[in-house]
Amino acid sequence: MSQKFSLREAERKAFTISFDDGLWDIFLGCFFLEFVIAPFLSERLGDFWSSVIFLPFWGLVYLAIWLIRKYVVKPRIGLVKYGPARTAKLKKFTLLILLINIVVFILGVIALFRFGVFSTQIYPIILGLTLLVGFCVAAYFLDFPRLYIYGLLLACSPLVGEWLYTYRNASHHGWPITFGITCSIMILTGLIIFIRFLRNNPIPMMETSVEGR
Amino acid sequence: MVDPISEPGLHPLANIDQVIHAPARLMVLTYLYVVESADYIFLMKLTGLTWGNLSTHLTKLEEAGYVELLKEFQGKKPHTIIRLTEQGRVAFRIYRKSMAQVLDDLPD
Repeated sequence: MSQKFSLREAERKAFTISFDDGLWDIFLGCFFLEFVIAPFLSERLGDFWSSVIFLPFWGLVYLAIWLIRKYVVKPRIGLVKYGPARTAKLKKFTLLILLINIVVFILGVIALFRFGVFSTQIYPIILGLTLLVGFCVAAYFLDFPRLYIYGLLLACSPLVGEWLYTYRNASHHGWPITFGITCSIMILTGLIIFIRFLRNNPIPMMETSVEGR
Repeated sequence: MVDPISEPGLHPLANIDQVIHAPARLMVLTYLYVVESADYIFLMKLTGLTWGNLSTHLTKLEEAGYVELLKEFQGKKPHTIIRLTEQGRVAFRIYRKSMAQVLDDLPD
C-alpha cells in the first residue's frame, strides 16, 4: 500500500465521499447568481425587491438539489452517520459562520452610521473579505479545498468589478461580468463533477441505500 | 523446529488479533471506527471491495462480535446498516497498540 493511511485520513475520506458530488458547487454558483442578475432587476424593482425575488429561486434550487441527493446520489453512494469528532467539527463550523455573520453585520451597521451610505471603496472590500474568510473557514472545516478557490474568486469579483467600472466603464459596477464568470466556473465545475460521479457510480443491484420509511 | 512467533523476542506478534489483521477487514474496521454507522453501499464505495468480498469479511467480523449488521428490506432489496460494537472498538484499539508496539520494537 503506497498511500499513507491514517485514522484521520480515513475519517476525512468517509466524510468527503458523502458530499463530493458537485451539487454543492452548483448550489453555491446558483446562490451567487443574484449578484449577476439583481443589478439589472434593481433598475425596475429597487434594491430590496430585486434581492428578495431570489429567495424563491434559491428555495427551488435547494429543493432540486435535495431531491437529486435523495433519489440520485444516495442510492449510488450509500448512507453514513458521522462520528463524534466530525459532528463536533461541524458544530464548530456552524458557530464560526454564525459569528462571522454577526461581526459582518455589526461592522456593516457601524459603517452605515459612520459614513451614512457604503462608499464604493469600502463596500467591495468588506464584501470581498467576508466572502474570503467565510469560504476559507468552510473549506477548512468541511475538508473541501475547492472552496478556497471559490472564496478567492468571489473575493476578487467585487474588487475587479469596481476596477472595470472605474477604468473600463462597465455597467453595474462590473458585477455582472466578474460574478458571472465566477458563478459560471462554479456551476460548470459542479456539473462536470456530477456527471463524472454518475458515470463512476452506477446503482448497485444487490443492495439498496434507501432508508426505512 | 522452534516456532519463530513463540520465541520471546517476537512474542507480541502472537497476540495480534488475526481477525482484524487481514488487510480488507482492517480497512473495514478502520472506517467503521471513525464513523457512527454506515450502510453496505457506502462501505463498498469506501473500501473498493466487491459485494461478495465485503460480505465474507463482514460475516467474519460479525462472528467475532466486532460488528453488528442491522438488515431491513426495501421492497425486494436488502438495506444493511453496519456498526462497530463496543467489543470491536476495544479490539481495534488493542490491535493498534499491539502493532505499534511490535513495529516500534523492531531494530533498524
